[in-house]
Amino acid sequence: MRIGIRGTMAWPFWVATLIVLTLVMHGVRGEIEEAHVVIPYLLVVLGGSSTGGRALGFTLAVLSFLLIDYYFQVPFDTLSVGKPLDWVVLLAFLATAAVATQLLTRAQDEAREAERRAREVKELSEVAEHAEALRAANHLKDMLLASVSHDLRTPLTTIKALAQDVAAGGDARARIIEEQADRLSHMVANLLDLSRIRAGALPLRLEINTAEDLLGAVSAQFAAVPTARLKAALHLDQPALVGVFDFVQSLRILTNLVENALRVSPPGAAVELDATRNGAELVFTVRDRGPGVPAAEVERIFEAFYRPEGSPPDAGRAGLGLAISRNLAELQGGTLTHAPNADGGSVFTLRLPLAEVELPTSSL
Amino acid sequence: MRAGVEEATVQARTLLVIEDDVQIRRAVRNALTGSADRIVEAANGREGLALAASWRPDLVVLDLGLPDMPGIAVCREIRTWGKMPLVVLTARHAEDEKVALLDAGADDYVTKPFSIREFAARVRAQLRRARSSSIPPDAVVTVGDLMIDLAARRVGRAGESVHLTPIEFEILRVLASQPGRTLTHRQIFDAVWGNAAGNAHQYLRVHITNLRRKIEQNPVTPRLIVTEPGVGYRFER
Repeated sequence: MRIGIRGTMAWPFWVATLIVLTLVMHGVRGEIEEAHVVIPYLLVVLGGSSTGGRALGFTLAVLSFLLIDYYFQVPFDTLSVGKPLDWVVLLAFLATAAVATQLLTRAQDEAREAERRAREVKELSEVAEHAEALRAANHLKDMLLASVSHDLRTPLTTIKALAQDVAAGGDARARIIEEQADRLSHMVANLLDLSRIRAGALPLRLEINTAEDLLGAVSAQFAAVPTARLKAALHLDQPALVGVFDFVQSLRILTNLVENALRVSPPGAAVELDATRNGAELVFTVRDRGPGVPAAEVERIFEAFYRPEGSPPDAGRAGLGLAISRNLAELQGGTLTHAPNADGGSVFTLRLPLAEVELPTSSL
Repeated sequence: MRAGVEEATVQARTLLVIEDDVQIRRAVRNALTGSADRIVEAANGREGLALAASWRPDLVVLDLGLPDMPGIAVCREIRTWGKMPLVVLTARHAEDEKVALLDAGADDYVTKPFSIREFAARVRAQLRRARSSSIPPDAVVTVGDLMIDLAARRVGRAGESVHLTPIEFEILRVLASQPGRTLTHRQIFDAVWGNAAGNAHQYLRVHITNLRRKIEQNPVTPRLIVTEPGVGYRFER
């Protein structure tokens, strides 16, 4: 262990020591050789530099040099030096003190550095061990999810197939079995996806795509919905809007938004779907005429497992759609936000990166 | 009913079902009994390949999650000698896998849990497509008010001539030559751009959008060139 005098305490301590030493030796200066005087001073310098660092070491060395010169070199009590050999002793002292201080503090620095490195290595190895454990756990989870996914889908297929057989026989309840099987499979898929997104394990294909193609695919998902209920805007007078995004995941976002919008809109009201350009962004909007979202809950609706205040615990949905959608938008460098619809209801806005495309017009 | 007429025209002799799950095999058999004289079943890939070689079925239904070998390997193996339609059942809802399947020679796929009615309809569509002779390269294809003269490289709509760029015509030709079949982006790239250097093909989707504006009644609800999200495009007659 080091001496317990550190930092600011080191200075007064070692200067005091120097004074005491000088007083003690001053009393006996007639009986000791000046070469012997040098040794205790050297010890004080070393002590000072080891606890107070380089600056204290050098200060003590210079002070000692002056004290030795003044009190212990003939002629006593002057700063003048009698014999040339005395200069040698004095300078040798100064040099020894300086070099010792330098070496000592450097050794200390190195020791500290070594200690720091050792600590770092230890921390790193702990981190590495931790990361390895995480990787293993993550892998296990993926395997589990994949197998759960597969193992659930196979019986669900059977349930659906049998329900369809029964429904063909005229039992309306079989249709409900089939619907519920679909809902279950939808939920399983959402849960799997949310965990995949969170683990950063959802592969993205960011490619050049057009807004029109995407809107067409959304419309195709809702082919059974009357066109009066779902209106997709057309801007044929303008060149096709092009962006860089993952088609499948963007389709999921919009499908989810339209699904929600159709559910909350009153029967006569249309859900409006549009794509426009705003600066370097492709902007998709889904407008509904539903009850809207209370201002206090606007951000909460994007949280996983969110349920509107006062909705029954078994409202039939896990509340994952918007959370997944926002995650998917952000993964693609986009955003998903909500704003109140001026005519009542909600407007959900998906922004994705736009691309400027110059098509070759002639040859292949 | 028109459906009845279609049923009559797609009666097959032999169908092969390669699926390890007994319940799903039964459901598939029930759905297809009306469409074939005989349904042969295999519970694993090896058996399936052997039965495919000995029966030479008119169509193969193949499950991807087989116990003994990857379904996609069965698909490739069959494609080394057979041209019959291959309809794949997959439990994973991953577009990459579907693309890999189509590139390996599968004709269609359904994702579990699938609707057995839709599955049966897909199988019948494949049988019908296999029965109808393929489109000759110099044919004139007409769908509704659209006319595509493959030999003269001309397109007309409701009697009016439609101007397409050379790339747009090539894309239309490739898709219309195999109606009802989903072509992957890769398959369309290869057919249209061949081995051309550069990355012109990354604009495929933009060309498709422009093409639709010229030939579709309503480009936002396309009926002729249908998007199969994440997989490719399909021409519908």
